[in-house]
Amino acid sequence: MAVHVLGIRHHGPGSARHVRHALEQLRPDIILIEGPPEGEELVRWATHAEMAPPVAMLVYRPDSPQHAVFYPFAEFSPEWQAIMYGLEHRLPIRFIDLPLTHKFALQQEAEEKDTADIQQEIHHNPLQYLANIAGYEDAELWWEHQVELSQNSVSTFEAIAEAMQVLRETHPDFKNQLEPLREAFMRRGIRTAQKEMYAQIAVVCGAWHVPALQQMPSQKADDELLRKLPKTKVETTWIPWTYSRLSFESGYGAGINSPGWYEHLWHHPEDDGTLWLIHVARVFRENQIEISSAHVIETLRLAHSLASLREQHKAGLLEFNEAVRTVMCMGDDIQLQLIWKELIVGHHIGNIPAESPQVPLQRDLETWQKRLRLKPQELPKVQALDLRDETGLLRSILLHRLLVLEIPWGENRDVSGKGTFKEEWELRWKPELHIQLLEKAAWGNTVEEAANAYLTHLSAQASQLPQVTELLEHAIPAELTVGVAALMKQLDVLAANTSDVQELMQAFLPLVQVKRYGNVRNTDAATVQLIMDSLMARICAGLPAACSNINEDTGTALAGWILRLDQAVLLLEEEAYHAEWYEALEQVLTTHQVNALISGTCCKLLHSAGVFDADITATAFSNALSRGNAPTYASSWIEGFLKNSATTLLLDDRIWSIIDDWLTDLSPEIFQELVPILRRTFADYSGAEKRKLASKAKTGGSVTMVSSQDLEIDQERARKVLPVFYSLMGLTHA
Amino acid sequence: MQNVIRQHAEHQFAEELEELKKQDRQQVPANWQLSPQAVVAYLMGDTLPNGFQVTPKYIGKRRLMEIAVATLTTDRALLLYGLPGTAKSWVSEHLAAAISGNSTLLVQGTAGTGEEAIRYGWNYARLLSTGPTPEALVETPMMRAMKTGKIARVEELTRIGSDVQDSLITILSEKSLPVPELNTEVQAITGFNVIATANNRDKGVNELSSALKRRFNTVILPVPDSMEEEVEIVQQRVKSFSQHMALPVEKPITEEIRRIVTIFRELRSGVSVDGKTKLKSPSGTLSTAEAISVMNSGLSLSHHFGDGSLKAHDLASGVLGAVVKDPVQDKIVWQEYLEAVVKQREGWKDLYRSCRDIM
Repeated sequence: MAVHVLGIRHHGPGSARHVRHALEQLRPDIILIEGPPEGEELVRWATHAEMAPPVAMLVYRPDSPQHAVFYPFAEFSPEWQAIMYGLEHRLPIRFIDLPLTHKFALQQEAEEKDTADIQQEIHHNPLQYLANIAGYEDAELWWEHQVELSQNSVSTFEAIAEAMQVLRETHPDFKNQLEPLREAFMRRGIRTAQKEMYAQIAVVCGAWHVPALQQMPSQKADDELLRKLPKTKVETTWIPWTYSRLSFESGYGAGINSPGWYEHLWHHPEDDGTLWLIHVARVFRENQIEISSAHVIETLRLAHSLASLREQHKAGLLEFNEAVRTVMCMGDDIQLQLIWKELIVGHHIGNIPAESPQVPLQRDLETWQKRLRLKPQELPKVQALDLRDETGLLRSILLHRLLVLEIPWGENRDVSGKGTFKEEWELRWKPELHIQLLEKAAWGNTVEEAANAYLTHLSAQASQLPQVTELLEHAIPAELTVGVAALMKQLDVLAANTSDVQELMQAFLPLVQVKRYGNVRNTDAATVQLIMDSLMARICAGLPAACSNINEDTGTALAGWILRLDQAVLLLEEEAYHAEWYEALEQVLTTHQVNALISGTCCKLLHSAGVFDADITATAFSNALSRGNAPTYASSWIEGFLKNSATTLLLDDRIWSIIDDWLTDLSPEIFQELVPILRRTFADYSGAEKRKLASKAKTGGSVTMVSSQDLEIDQERARKVLPVFYSLMGLTHA
Repeated sequence: MQNVIRQHAEHQFAEELEELKKQDRQQVPANWQLSPQAVVAYLMGDTLPNGFQVTPKYIGKRRLMEIAVATLTTDRALLLYGLPGTAKSWVSEHLAAAISGNSTLLVQGTAGTGEEAIRYGWNYARLLSTGPTPEALVETPMMRAMKTGKIARVEELTRIGSDVQDSLITILSEKSLPVPELNTEVQAITGFNVIATANNRDKGVNELSSALKRRFNTVILPVPDSMEEEVEIVQQRVKSFSQHMALPVEKPITEEIRRIVTIFRELRSGVSVDGKTKLKSPSGTLSTAEAISVMNSGLSLSHHFGDGSLKAHDLASGVLGAVVKDPVQDKIVWQEYLEAVVKQREGWKDLYRSCRDIM
């Protein structure tokens, strides 16, 4: 009954190769691996055709998925190779580390006692000591040279075991709290296998644990240690992983900095750097940095000279990086970072079989991803969606629903152009999103169900109108009927209680969008109409009061909202709203102590809507500019009226002359005072408008319009255009 | 040879080089004096198996020196690049001394350096009397280095005009120097290579053509990483200076060095050492080399005009001269620094007063 303990470094291509070789020589009949026993069930999926590392075994507490541990595997992970070997040879594979059911429970106890000891495991690296003795600054580098690049498998494990033995003796203080428990569990696993009469037992574990598994203390002591450990419920699942996340410190402790390089080592152990440097050159070229083959040759030579200068039998990543920097990048680090991102770390993302055990919500998401051909990728990708097309619409709905669930896979970006049937998303899948997904698993088994339930929950919690408005903006494009209904109800309740007209307007605007483009999104508009009616009524009732006795800042903000709402009302083309809205604006004008800017704005809107004819407008204008009002009032009023409406000034001679009179009446001191405000009003006018205004002023304000009588119009020919014009405008031929 | 102000590296450290050569067990490239490993040991300092101490010449990252030496073993030339005063020429001189035993094959790059300074020139009297003959040819250090298989050095490469720079291309790629007038050529023998230095601040003045760039491996020499490193550099150089100039160093001056280095580092990085005070940076580079010269001038001031022990006022004028390069801008920077940092710092009152006095 021989027990062979193979000490490895998690994720090391050299270790992986050594493990593979050793297993082939030892021909074990059982393989024990340092890993959570809860994950044993999942192991059988490893050889599935659709399984593609990097993947991670995720162990979590279903009641709080944020307590999760990942066990990432790359193709070059020794554990992965051991699993593959075991599955290929139909051997039993067992995970013998401390079960996470205990670890989580211990963690929880520690949290409750508020002693964060276990949580803050000091990350120790015993290898650092060995590396320092050998004259290396970096432990990872030392390991790479000693083990990963070494081609000799058999003796390596013995050497590692010996080194660790000595280290453990010299530095007993390296141990952390959980370690005795973990090692006791591993020993228990070995004992069980021995009792079951397995003859050749292979144990794959972190190098550090090797001595603890080779020298077995009495079984009694271990049993004592493992008595009465607390438990909690845990679940496991496979999730796709990425290379950039392999450097995460989770589960297997130390991460690695250069998975891309390790992958290269794994696939091309014989490469002397030629292949690697050709990849490097290609990445540079793809990024418009010109690198010739001569560069590659020189870099390779330098890397080899460096290695021989340092008395290494093979150039490692460090030598290659230094050579690349010196030869290809003019000694500069900036370009090297490109290689770091693209090659040394790499962008790979793993894949897991569709039928492997998953949370229902996760599976539903994957079904959708497949159906809509949206692949989760780590590299940010911009995707334009056309909502007129069914797939586009469904994709957009899915992404919006995920946003509601606080899973920001996609980021909705503003699209240039006015088309509302287009959306642009930046998609980027991060493995952490899986945790978010698990966290929301409690809300429902499909994305739609969960999003609806979560939205209903959020809407019940909302206590402010803007919160509901914001949720609504997300929920409407996500087409969550149940959730939206809940939100509407909440909106109604909150709107009744609020006296802030601005908030009401803010809530009204997104609804306008829904109503108007309802046909694009197939949203049920009837409910929306009801809410809008009541909101409109409230706004119109509250507006006049809200516009008086306010300071300048509030006035400016409110004027902005009034303009936006006016646009919305025009868009909606609803008679009832028109009447209601302009009545409210008229009331604003007659209200005592109304903010000048708002008053001007309202007057402008009424004028351009045709509610005020020229006479009334002129009266209102001269009223506002009359001497009874302070000059600042007058200029604010002008700003409200004329901002962004140069045409009024150009075409309406009456208003022009009112302003003209007012201006000439001003005393020089007051004029100076007003110039800034007036300037502000006219600053937004376009160059052409300003020019026309100037020429109008030059000629004394009379000759502005090109008189149409000057042109000789062929009436007959002009009439021929009319039928087309009518049909374009959707009018019946009069 | 005793009276020269500054000895060449190969003379000043002749003993070390000799000892390294004796102890060298590694393979020595053809025409090199030492193995690459021994060259790195010479630059970084080492204790030889027989206990002989090799002093460090470059204080900084060993890796950089390894890259530099490894480059010279390949057939690419080495370009040392960095801010003024980051020991580029110093490293280049010591590399040449250790590899070829001769650091004098030097072409100084200036805006006026012509092609004849790099390739070859003519002795015009001879040329007129005998016509183009080998005797009328004036060899340049570059040509001599090629003939003898040694390291040639080009200082301030980017100060040289682009057209002249490009005459290096044939030398570096073909390793030969054609002399069309004599219908012959000089072919470089093994061991020949070029170390050039160039200045960051001159970037863009005479940018290297990409053809030439491709012939060089570039190593950027950074300003010293840590306070300790910089203090060590200054200390070492000041010690050798005072030995050289026969200035007695009476008491440990490390404290003063530390103060100067602190001032330079703070002004360079624009933030005080404790990270609490934001500072303006003056227009000069404030390199380690300048710190060394401030210490040296302080030492000679104290020796000749003072009581022989280094005082704050011996240093003040040197610091002022190093920091204030622009009489208007830098003066404001310096004044602010004095008030905001020097005045507040404990134990720096003497320095503050001396500096105020000479403003």
